[in-house]
Amino acid sequence: MTVSLTLAHVSAHYGSTQVLEDLSLDVGEGELVSLLGASGCGKTTTLRLVAGFLRPTAGTISLGARNITGVAAHARNIGLVFQTYALFPHLSVLDNVAFGLRQRGMGTAERHGKAHEMIERVGLTGLADRYPSNLSGGQRQRVALARALVIEPPLLMFDEPLSNLDAKLRVDMRVEIRRMQRAAGTTALYVTHDQEEAFSISDRVAIMHRGRIMQLDAPEVLYSRPANAFVADFVGFGNMIPLEVAGEDDTRVIARMAGGATLSLPKADFSVPGRNFVLAARPEGLGVSQGGAGIPATLGLRTYLGRAYQYRCTTDVGEVIANGPLSDPLEPGSNVTLVPQPDQCCLLPAETA
Amino acid sequence: MNSRLQAWLLALPATFFVVVCLGLPVLSTLATTFGEPAGPFVTYIQFFTSGFRRAVLLRTIEVAVITTAISLVVGFATAWVVARSPGRIKSILIIAAVFPLLTSVVVRSFAWMVILGKNGIINKALLALGILNEPLSMLYTEGSVIVAMVYLFVPLMILTLVGVLEGIPQDLTDAAASLGAPPSAAFRQVVLPMAVPGLIVGAVLVFTGSFTSYATPQLLGGDRQTMMGTFLYQRAMVTFDWVGASTIAAVMVVVTIATVLLMSRLARKLNPVVG
Amino acid sequence: MKTRIHPALIAFSVFTFVFLIGPLIIIIGTAVSDTTFLTFPPQGFSMRWFANIFEVSAFPRTMVTSFTLAVLATTLSLMVGVPAAYALARFRIELPKFLANVFVLPILVPEIVLGFSLLKSVATGVGASIWTSLLIGHALLVLPYCVRVVGASLNSFDFSVEEAAVSLGCPRWKAFFVVVLPNIRAGVIAAFILAFITSINDVSVSIFLTGPGISTLPIQLLAHMEQFFDPTIAAVSVLLMGVTVAVMTVVEWTLGLTFLTK
Repeated sequence: MTVSLTLAHVSAHYGSTQVLEDLSLDVGEGELVSLLGASGCGKTTTLRLVAGFLRPTAGTISLGARNITGVAAHARNIGLVFQTYALFPHLSVLDNVAFGLRQRGMGTAERHGKAHEMIERVGLTGLADRYPSNLSGGQRQRVALARALVIEPPLLMFDEPLSNLDAKLRVDMRVEIRRMQRAAGTTALYVTHDQEEAFSISDRVAIMHRGRIMQLDAPEVLYSRPANAFVADFVGFGNMIPLEVAGEDDTRVIARMAGGATLSLPKADFSVPGRNFVLAARPEGLGVSQGGAGIPATLGLRTYLGRAYQYRCTTDVGEVIANGPLSDPLEPGSNVTLVPQPDQCCLLPAETA
Repeated sequence: MNSRLQAWLLALPATFFVVVCLGLPVLSTLATTFGEPAGPFVTYIQFFTSGFRRAVLLRTIEVAVITTAISLVVGFATAWVVARSPGRIKSILIIAAVFPLLTSVVVRSFAWMVILGKNGIINKALLALGILNEPLSMLYTEGSVIVAMVYLFVPLMILTLVGVLEGIPQDLTDAAASLGAPPSAAFRQVVLPMAVPGLIVGAVLVFTGSFTSYATPQLLGGDRQTMMGTFLYQRAMVTFDWVGASTIAAVMVVVTIATVLLMSRLARKLNPVVG
Repeated sequence: MKTRIHPALIAFSVFTFVFLIGPLIIIIGTAVSDTTFLTFPPQGFSMRWFANIFEVSAFPRTMVTSFTLAVLATTLSLMVGVPAAYALARFRIELPKFLANVFVLPILVPEIVLGFSLLKSVATGVGASIWTSLLIGHALLVLPYCVRVVGASLNSFDFSVEEAAVSLGCPRWKAFFVVVLPNIRAGVIAAFILAFITSINDVSVSIFLTGPGISTLPIQLLAHMEQFFDPTIAAVSVLLMGVTVAVMTVVEWTLGLTFLTK
């Protein structure tokens, strides 16, 4: 059984502080959606609202056609994997996994059978009688996953499930989580502050800031076409250069930046969103060239990144970071021009900056 | 200087102090009981064959067990409410529990003499209401000793258990709820088993504390409700029977240590969480 | 946002706290009663029983004794206890495991047994003075608090900080005072307070060791109660509650009262 999750116009407060403001979100059947943002952005609050640990001050939460806004947490039937794993320290792995089945009134033999099966599926064969304190971080994570999966919930939720693991295990486990979620076909909501993690396992990602969703899209779309300056900055467009349209012809737009220098943007590569706009560029999106048309800049500190050199550059609009090729190291103090590369830049309407 | 020598030099004064000033005197007290000319176990045979002495021991155990049981129930229920109260109220409640705990045992026992006495508050109220014709004698009964002991130890139990209950992460009760456990089931299957070690610690503290207490049985039990502590004092300071007093002391030490060992074994058994 | 509490449980807790605080309020009431016998609610209002405390010369004298004894015993106990706690925390592997338990023995041995044994061996046996015996008894009584509370803060202390000080040219012994001690200050204060209050309230050890001319306040209070059951006792009790208030205020200032549930 798999259902969609719908949050409609949900708001939440802690005392007088508004944590969520009119948030709407749809997670389709079998889809994995991540809530991504810094701490305090409201992502965990959203998850706790869906879990039923908090009540919204406005709005409704539905699983499929069923409105669960007022339903008690224990009656929601949602599988939840906690950041701390929240394994019951006084219960063995087997009893931890079987806990949810026991609440559903399943007999001992049957629930132990099912729990054993699930323990095997998450790769913990032979550890059923261990206690959580005798397990490694990765093993605890698997128990937490098994415990949430075995109740066959229509919705699975993950609250920063990998943040207590070391880097290599994190990558392995996220693949595992994605695989199990796909195999079960369960709808999933995943909360994380790690961009790579969110992008790698999600069908869609919601980037959150101050209790609102700034953009909800497939990772590829977020990465190449951010809708606003916040998302652009979040996904690595480190340079924001305000521009104004100065003229255009059939093939190109001429834009002027503060200080008077002009840029010529080919219409085939850039679609200008208004008279005033912002050029958002990743460091690798500003080619360093000596002479030619572009943003005039003076090179400052050079650092070695392995795949490129990175330069701190002084321009008329402040410090800009650009990458240059390894084949051609340039000295600090050189005067260069920075040329926007269409595939690593995007144009945003000025009002979103 | 090597670190082992340093460690020993630092630990030596305290070790010496405990061994010489506590170890030797207590061992000497215990040794006294075996040094009778009539034979090494004579005093113990006397202790356990004397109806009066046996009655004192049994009464003391009974009072301690009842006090522990009542304190566990009252302390756990109250600690539960304290632990779940919002910040401001919680601090006030903790202050209200700490205050009696830090106040002299003599003062706290004295309060119950005023309440339970012949001219005490309860008697006066009951007489005024016409429920009684003449005052009840509640003082110097086992009941009065138990009431005062419960009064003495409930704050200790509350504070111990508030710490234990607060140490149970909210994530665990949330996890239980997310897996379908209603609050009552989450309490029985998660909170209670996790509180067992704390309950045992509290029980040991209250049992040994009430078993070895002196001031409270002295003030509220008097001569009529002699308990081990008051009995030891009488033998030592009134009749100057130091061998008899040493025997009582030895029995107290054995019961105390046996309780601690038994309960910590029980704690390990009921709490399978290793490490 | 925590789960709701059952109303019956709340009612029960209210009852518990009335039970805990009520008797102490009754004592305050009886202390200000203008009668020669203990009664509540107070009849009339008078501070004369407080004045009477200072008429009975034993009370002020034993107050001074109790206070002095508590300070001396606690100081003595900290002086041997802090180095021991430091050794246990810093050189754990160098010392035998049972050593930590040695310092807990005074808790395991019933106080009244300790008091009697000290009377037998130290006061009568060796012939130590009343003051010496009391000091030894009280210092032993409070040693476990000193070792364990200070030990708890030492266990959460990162000793590499001490090594950093040494690497910067600070001698070892000095590093303890300028680096370690300031960082375990809360633990030392906590130990001092717990030890002080334990000593000042002690009955079971002192009852055997006090003697002609030298007594502590709780023992004097017990003796007074046997002869006079008058509001002076209540007045002294109120003063002792004042000590509790003072101690709690110090705890609140230095550590916060939630410290006591840990």
